[in-house]
Amino acid sequence: MLKRLLLLRGTEIIVLALLACIPLTVSNSYLLGLLTLLTIYGILLIGLDVTVGYLGQVNLAQAAFLGLGAYAAGLSVSLLGFGMMGALGVSLLVGLVLGGVLAFPALRLEGPQFALATLSFSALSTTVLNEWDGLTGGAQGLSLNRPPLFGQTLGASGFYWLCLVILALVWMGMRNLLASQWGRAFEALRDSPIATDAMGVGTFRHKVAGFALGSSLGGLAGGLYAFNFQYLQPQSFTYDLMVILLLGVVLGGRKSLWGAFFGASLIVLLPNLLSNRILFEVISAAGLLLALVAGGRGWMKKTTKPFQALAPVIAMGMLVAGGFMVENTENWRKAIFALMLFSVVVGLPDGIMGFAARYLTKLFRISPSALPPASNLDDVLPLGKSSGGVLLELQALKRYFGGVKAVDGINMQVKKGQVHGLIGPNGSGKSTAVNVISGLYAPTSGEILLDGKPLPRGSLFKVARAGVSRTFQNLQLFGELSALDNVMLALKGAYRVPLPLVLLGFSRAEDSRAKADALALLALAGLADQAGMRAKDLTYGAQRFLEIARALARKPELLILDEPAAGLAHPDVSVLVSIIKSIRERGITIILIEHHMDVVSELCDTVTVIDSGQVIAEGTPDEVKRDPKVIKAYLGVAPDEPVAMPA
Amino acid sequence: MLQVENLHAGYGTSEVLTGTTLHVKQGSVVALIGANGAGKTTTMRAISGMIKPASGRVLLGGQPVQGLSASRIAKLGLAHSPEGRKVFGPLSVEDNLLLGAYNHLPMFFGFRGRAAEGLEKVYALFPRLKERRLQAAGTLSGGEQQMLAIGRALMANPKVILLDEPSMGLAPVIVQEVFNIIRRLKESGVTLLLVEQFAKSALEVADYAYVMERGRIAVEGTPAQLHQNERVIAAYLG
Repeated sequence: MLKRLLLLRGTEIIVLALLACIPLTVSNSYLLGLLTLLTIYGILLIGLDVTVGYLGQVNLAQAAFLGLGAYAAGLSVSLLGFGMMGALGVSLLVGLVLGGVLAFPALRLEGPQFALATLSFSALSTTVLNEWDGLTGGAQGLSLNRPPLFGQTLGASGFYWLCLVILALVWMGMRNLLASQWGRAFEALRDSPIATDAMGVGTFRHKVAGFALGSSLGGLAGGLYAFNFQYLQPQSFTYDLMVILLLGVVLGGRKSLWGAFFGASLIVLLPNLLSNRILFEVISAAGLLLALVAGGRGWMKKTTKPFQALAPVIAMGMLVAGGFMVENTENWRKAIFALMLFSVVVGLPDGIMGFAARYLTKLFRISPSALPPASNLDDVLPLGKSSGGVLLELQALKRYFGGVKAVDGINMQVKKGQVHGLIGPNGSGKSTAVNVISGLYAPTSGEILLDGKPLPRGSLFKVARAGVSRTFQNLQLFGELSALDNVMLALKGAYRVPLPLVLLGFSRAEDSRAKADALALLALAGLADQAGMRAKDLTYGAQRFLEIARALARKPELLILDEPAAGLAHPDVSVLVSIIKSIRERGITIILIEHHMDVVSELCDTVTVIDSGQVIAEGTPDEVKRDPKVIKAYLGVAPDEPVAMPA
Repeated sequence: MLQVENLHAGYGTSEVLTGTTLHVKQGSVVALIGANGAGKTTTMRAISGMIKPASGRVLLGGQPVQGLSASRIAKLGLAHSPEGRKVFGPLSVEDNLLLGAYNHLPMFFGFRGRAAEGLEKVYALFPRLKERRLQAAGTLSGGEQQMLAIGRALMANPKVILLDEPSMGLAPVIVQEVFNIIRRLKESGVTLLLVEQFAKSALEVADYAYVMERGRIAVEGTPAQLHQNERVIAAYLG
C-alpha cells in the first residue's frame, strides 16, 4: 500500500521537479519553447481525454476550443486590458460556457452523429474567427503582448513555470475528480446509459458536465497558447490540428493522465525529431524492435492474433525502409504519423501508456490498493419491519406501441414487505409493465402510485430517485468497472461533497466510507471476494447477483427483479433464492418477474398473472397454479401432473 | 459423428476448458449440463470455431476441424443454434431460414428452387413458422424465435446440431413445447448436442449425458445411470 503510494506519487513529483529545473540549468530558448508547448498540449489533451477516453465519444471540437480560448484571452488583453490571470480566467470560462452550449444538443446524439456535430462546430468557429475582421483581424492574424502576472512581466522561463504550475494543478484536480463518484459516473454512462439513469445518476447532466469540463481545459490551454506565441491565426486551429490531437490521446493511451502527457510530448517532439535524419532512423528502428518483441511474445504465448502481431511489424518496417528512400522526412510527416497510429491502434489498443502501465505494475509488483473492512450490513440496509398497507398501486395502466396494446389496463396492488410475483407468457406485457413503472417508457394512460403519491412518469432517473430500483433482464452492468465500483456508483446518499472540494481532494473520506458500504452489499450477494474484478469478467451467475447488489445500493423501497434466474443453472438458482430471502428480511418490497415456477412458489406471497396485457389471475402461488386460465395460457400442465412425458 | 478430445480453450489468458472429452454418436441426443461458468457454452463455442481451442482435438465425422474458422466448420456440416436465439430481427422469417442454407446453395441463380425442399421440411416440422414466414423475425414471440433458430440450423442440412439453452427465458408452456420439438427432431434422426439448464427435462430427451464441472467432464452416463448418482441428484436434479 505504502509502496504503491510512494511509486505513483513519487514518479509524479520527480518528473515535475525535473521539468521545473530544466530552465535553471539549460539556457536554450528553443528547448524552453518546446517545453512550454508540451505543458500547454498536456492540459489540452487531459481535457480531450475526458470526452474521448472516459465518455467514449469521438470529439472533433477540441482544436476549436483551443482557438476560441486563445482569441478570448488575446482579445480580453488587447481590448479590455485584462492581466494574465484575468485573461486566463476568461479563456477558461469561454471554453466552459461554449462547451456546455454545444453539449446540450450534441450529447443527445450518439457515436458518429456526435462526431459530426462537433466537426460542424469546429468548422463554424474557425469560419467566425476568420471572417469577423473587425474583432479578430481575420486571416491577417492577431498580434498581442503577454500581459503581466500580478504586476510582474514574465520572461520565457517565468511563463514556462506558470504553465507548469497550471498543468500540475489541472493534473491534481483531474486525478481527484476521476477517483471520485464523478469519474465512476463518466465511465458508467459510456458502458450503459440506461443503467446509469436507473441507478439515480443523471446521465445527461454528467455528460454535459464532462464535456464542458474538457472544453474548459481546451479554452485554458488556448489562453496559454496565445500568450506563448503572442500571435494568432485562425488557420492554426483547423482539422489538421484536431487529427493530431486525437492521435496524441490514442497513441499515449486513453483514460490516463500519463497517457495524455505522453501523447503531448509526442506531438511536440515528433516534428522536431523528424528533421534530424539519424534520430528518425533510430526512433523508427526502435519502433520496429518494439513491434517485433511485443508481437513475437504475444504470438508465442497465443495472447495476440497473427494479424495483430504482424501488422505493426510491417507498418514499422515501412517506416524504416521509407526513411532510407525519401529525401525529406518532414514532408512525409502525416504519413509517418499515420503509420505510427496504425501500429499502436492494432498492436497496443490501450495506447503506449496503457501497455507500459501493465508492464510496470508487474515489474514493481504494485498491488491494487487495499480494501477497507466491510461495513456492518445492518447499518447499510437496516433490518426493517414493514408497516403493512399498499406500497405500489397501478390503476388502469396502459402502454400502446402503435397499434400493439402491450399493456392494456392493468390494475394491481403491491403490499409493503411482500414478494409480489409477476408471471405470464412471453410477450404478455410483464416486461413492458415494469419498464413503465421504472420510467423507461411513459404510460399511454393510467396511474402509478407509490405510497399513495404519483410516481414520476417516463424518466428512469426520477423514478430511481423516488425509491424504486430495478435489475434488467438483459444485463446492464458497467462492464469496464469493477464489481465494487458498480455498487459504489449506485450507492444512495453517500456523496455530498460539492464539485470544487472534490477537485481539491476532499472526497476521499466519503469515498472510503462508500467503499465499505458497497463491500457489505457485495457480501450479501456472495461476491465479497470478487470485488476487484471487472464486471464483464465475472461469470454469468455472478453478474446476475451483482446487478441485485447494485440495485440494493439505491436502498430502495421497491425492488424490481426482471427474470433474475434466466440462464441460471440449478446450484445458482438456490443461491439466488437465499439472496432474495435475505433482502425480504430487510423489509424491502420486491416485484419478481420469473419463469421458474419453483422459484416463484418458494418466494412469492402474491402472484399476478398477465396475458395479452391484462391481468388474468391473482392470488397465492398455489391458487394461481390451479387456475385453469393460467394452466392454459402459461403453465401447460397442472402442477400435480408430471412436467414432461418420459422419452 | 462428433468427437471432442481433451479440449483446452478460454478467453484471453483465462482458461475455461481444461481438458474436455465427449462423444456424440450419429442419430443420438447428448445433453451437457452443469453450473454457470462450468464451461458448457465455451465448449460449444470451441467446437463450432467461434473461439480457437488452445489444444485438443475436435473431430466431425472423423475429420479434424479444430482451429478452422467458424464458417469453414459450418460448411463441413455443423450447425450452432446459439444461446439467446440470435435471430436476425429485421429480416423476415423466410430470409432467416434461407440464410441458414447460405453455405451450400448457389450464389446467384436457382437459390430459391434449391432451397425450397429444405424450407418445406422445416415448415412441416414447424407449421407456425410457415404462417408467419413474411413477418419480421424480431416480432415473433420468444418460443417462435426459438423454433426459427432451430429451423435455421436445420436448413444447413447439418451432420450435427449444437443447441445452446433453447429454453432460456421462456414460459413453462413454451419450454414444454421446445422439448417436444427436440423429441421430434430426435425421431427424425438428427444428431444433437444439447446444453440446458433444466437438467431434468434434458435428461428425459437425451440418450447420453455429460455433467461439466470447472472446465472438464465430471460425470457421464445414460440418464438412468445419472439418476442413480447421488452427487448429480443433489447438485443438479434437486
